[in-house]
Amino acid sequence: MSALLSVQGLTVRAGGKTVVSDLSFSIGSGERMGLIGESGSGKSMTAMAITGLLPPNISVTGSIVLDGQEIVGTEDKHLNRLRGVATAVVFQEPLTALDPLMKIGKQIAEPVRRRLQREQGRASRQAVGREVLDLLDKVALPQPERIANAYPHEVSGGQRQRVAIAMALACRPKLLIADEPTTALDVTTQAEILKLLDGLVRETGMALLFISHDLPVVAEVVQRVMVLRDGIALEEGAVIDVFANPSHDYTQTLVDAARMFDEALGRTGS
Amino acid sequence: MTSLDLSTDRPARRHSLSLSIGLALVGLNVVVAILTLFWTPYDPLNASGGRLEAPSWLHWVGTDRLGRDYLTQIMIGARTALIVGTGAVAIGASIGVTLGILAAFATRLLDDVMAATLDILIAFPTLLLAMLVVAASDSASLWSAILALGLAISAIVARLTRILAKRVLRQDYIIASRTSGTSWLGVVAWHVLPNIWPTLSVNFALQFGLAVIAEASLSYLGLGAPPPNASWGRLLQEAQGTVYTAPVGSIAPGIALVALVIGMNLFADGLRDVGDPTRRRSR
Ligand SMILES: Nc1ncnc2c1ncn2[C@@H]1O[C@H](COP(=O)(O)OP(=O)(O)OP(=O)(O)O)[C@@H](O)[C@H]1O
Ligand SMILES: [Mg+2]
Repeated sequence: MSALLSVQGLTVRAGGKTVVSDLSFSIGSGERMGLIGESGSGKSMTAMAITGLLPPNISVTGSIVLDGQEIVGTEDKHLNRLRGVATAVVFQEPLTALDPLMKIGKQIAEPVRRRLQREQGRASRQAVGREVLDLLDKVALPQPERIANAYPHEVSGGQRQRVAIAMALACRPKLLIADEPTTALDVTTQAEILKLLDGLVRETGMALLFISHDLPVVAEVVQRVMVLRDGIALEEGAVIDVFANPSHDYTQTLVDAARMFDEALGRTGS
Repeated sequence: MTSLDLSTDRPARRHSLSLSIGLALVGLNVVVAILTLFWTPYDPLNASGGRLEAPSWLHWVGTDRLGRDYLTQIMIGARTALIVGTGAVAIGASIGVTLGILAAFATRLLDDVMAATLDILIAFPTLLLAMLVVAASDSASLWSAILALGLAISAIVARLTRILAKRVLRQDYIIASRTSGTSWLGVVAWHVLPNIWPTLSVNFALQFGLAVIAEASLSYLGLGAPPPNASWGRLLQEAQGTVYTAPVGSIAPGIALVALVIGMNLFADGLRDVGDPTRRRSR
């Protein structure tokens, strides 16, 4: 069976600098994979290359096959049919990822309307409205009606990220890309969002590409992980193997840092 | 219970003093302009009293050199001003916004060319540009003045739209929306236009005021609406010779002009305050 996403020799150059070099990995349907690495290691670049939305001044070479469609070098209007269908993205910064002048309900309604149109050939206002409230409920937002009628600045950061997740779920993508979805949130909210995301991905059976620089966070939700530094893949494997026997010093430092953090919090290692 | 408002309408406007005063002044102008379609105190074209009469109960603002009622002409001037402002802004907005959005999406080279062309056009004083257009058309008419002012406004609007749209297009929520499958056309309709609208509408209101002044200036110079259309600019020009003997003739249309322009500017100010829901922290 061919993979849902297959990346071969992906190289991304921006401003004369190689920010991702010769990256290869694949994700099967329903599989959950993590991409970890410190800030600036090229995680977001990799994610955006998969959506085909990198600006034209950034050069992408290699091959990215998503749901049977080659992404690299394909015209935007063909790629647009994949977006929201094959992939959806949850971003790091929940405030800037929502249109400040559009009510939350309306922002979620747009992808819902497109999906219903695509799946059923029609999307009535009532059906869309019902589904929007359903989604808000699913991401455990209190008072869905109130939230739907609110503007992004009128809800909290954690709630905004739930909204962003609802927007991504609205598409029912085959692959959900979560680019550091909890980094901008406080620790308690982080744990909640992570649990929510984990539950939803398992429930719907979609594949997940989870990006983070935070090792314990990644370990919680994914099966397989790839460690990235300066755009180069250092190692890849099952979460347990990579973290228990890091074959690379860099991974070891990430593991140590996470352990020290846990000890500082008085938690015992898992 | 499951009533969900998916409509595009903006939230209810917060009360704002400048918005209220502005609306009142502009509203008065609109009411008077519409009224003149059905009724004026006197016949605007024929004498209804003595020449250059001072204000009286019969002629509140007096009469002109030919004995025609001044108030009647000022009222009709309100209609002319409104037509000019609305027409010029409508032309300027439709051409300007379209060009500006196209420029924001254009390739680097095309964008540079458009930006430079707009800068050159804007460097021309609006009035001079308008005079050239009016002079180039065979006869001075209200419509050539409107077209000329509309073209001048379109350059300003295009430049503003281009800058605003580019700023919006760089925002994360555009990428976020694109990742969910929104087409570029959808991005323009749902995100770019609504997000640049608060700033654009303020600019439209300001341009409206400037267009009214420019038309008055054109008329004052004899390049505006020809005689049967009363224009405040032409009233001012005709009253020029009698400014010492019958000052009301110059003062009255001047006040009307200033009131409309100030009203429009206050309206613009008010719009700026209420246009952006993120700035309304009243809850
Ligand atoms: N538009 C751009 N033009 C040129 N270089 C860029 C651009 N955007 C990012 N870069 C560079 O690409 C490299 C990788 O960036 P990327 O955003 O993928 O990092 P990241 O791993 O997602 O980091 P973070 O954890 O901070 O989000 C960085 O060195 C960054 O400076
Ligand atoms: Mg990033």
